[in-house]
Amino acid sequence: MARLALGTDDLVDNPTPRVPVSLCLDTSSSMSGSPIQELVRGVNLFYDAIDEDEDAHDSAEVNIVEFNSSAGLVHDFASIERLQRISGLAANGTTAMGAGVNLALDTLEARKATYSGSGVLYYQPWLVLMTDGAPTDNIDSAVRRVVDLVEAKKLTVFPIGIGGGADMKTLARFSPNRDPLRLDGLKFKEFFEWLSRSVARVSRSTPGDSVKLDLEGLAGWAEL
Amino acid sequence: MFKEFHHQARGLSHLRDGTPVQDRTKYLSRGGVQVLCLADGAGSASHSQFGAQAVVDEGCAVLVERFDEYASSNDGVQVKVDLLDRLAAKVTATAERHGVPPDSLASTFLCVAVSGNRFLGAHVGDGVVGYLKHGDLRSISGPDNSEFANQTTFVTSGRALESMRLFRGALDGVHGFILMSDGTAESLYNPRNGELAAACTKLINAVGTAPGRQSKNSDYKKRLRRLVNITIRNATKDDCSIGILGRVVPS
Repeated sequence: MARLALGTDDLVDNPTPRVPVSLCLDTSSSMSGSPIQELVRGVNLFYDAIDEDEDAHDSAEVNIVEFNSSAGLVHDFASIERLQRISGLAANGTTAMGAGVNLALDTLEARKATYSGSGVLYYQPWLVLMTDGAPTDNIDSAVRRVVDLVEAKKLTVFPIGIGGGADMKTLARFSPNRDPLRLDGLKFKEFFEWLSRSVARVSRSTPGDSVKLDLEGLAGWAEL
Repeated sequence: MFKEFHHQARGLSHLRDGTPVQDRTKYLSRGGVQVLCLADGAGSASHSQFGAQAVVDEGCAVLVERFDEYASSNDGVQVKVDLLDRLAAKVTATAERHGVPPDSLASTFLCVAVSGNRFLGAHVGDGVVGYLKHGDLRSISGPDNSEFANQTTFVTSGRALESMRLFRGALDGVHGFILMSDGTAESLYNPRNGELAAACTKLINAVGTAPGRQSKNSDYKKRLRRLVNITIRNATKDDCSIGILGRVVPS
């Protein structure tokens, strides 16, 4: 038998497949006060939870898009190692939800192109849309893009209504396969912890898996 | 004449979750035909380990029976149809025995068969088939993934026939073949350039030059199993399976 001594040079060190997650957050003036503070706290807990999970830690890449009178990128996609905890978000202006969703989708497409260009495998991207109100801009093109992607199984979307004032009918337009969720009170912490666990489930999936999200796990804090 | 090695190791995520190994491998030699099959059961399919076992059993059986016919046929589509029909029928029968729908037994399928101076093989889904010819390591068939890392085609999929890749050739200059599931491919295959890791050459040569008669527990097989169980398995969370045919070099 030939001598069998395999070193690291004999093997391929492939990168872990990535799960790109875009948090598309309403930072309009109605979010001022405790909602925006709780949202920031929830996002940071999300980062902590991802950091603590072995699978999510290696695979999750998160960005934040905010929308108020216009849309903007709070920070671009980064692995949890490079993500700085956010110190705060300013709440002001109107609710340009269409612009926000379009920007979030653009960032997801750009990230996928980056993965493809560098030979990194990836899972279906996630869009988490959170708002406490109703859009003040035209959302038609954003809705069409999201629905087309979801129906083509190229996007997982979580439209989340915050509080009693969220326009759930509008959010439902973004979610052809399941009803949007309404947070029960301001339980961002529970939502983001659930989201982190769900990212971990995806990153543990193997080829052929259609990952079933544990939506029942939301029952304690959200209306389905 | 080729020597063989095949093995499947339970993935670290399966160990953590308490789920069984869903990869299966099998080797069969009969009537001058040597066949090696490998299948990776779908993680999302409840009985995929039974499906993987069914297709490696049936794959070995059909290829020893029909090697000459398949290898000489110019109608590749008909060969694909025949082979897939046999695999699907076995999966359906197995599913009926377990009282579940056939797609609960979803798995990929990879095989290589050699006889005389010819070889043939087939591949549905992800994983990799490669060979060593004239000292050059080449990928024969790479993973069939969609855009996303966790989607592929299975024997039970609607597009299995469309996805199936069939290959054949002469054995001149061929030192051996290697089959691997996607978990093993994380260490032995580079999807960015489609190249196999240098380790594959060493593995094929190690099997071909293994001493003495083959047995299930020969020293060389123990060493190879240890390599899969430790080095290759630690590079992924998925099950790891591998099948190798190494050509015996006349002394």
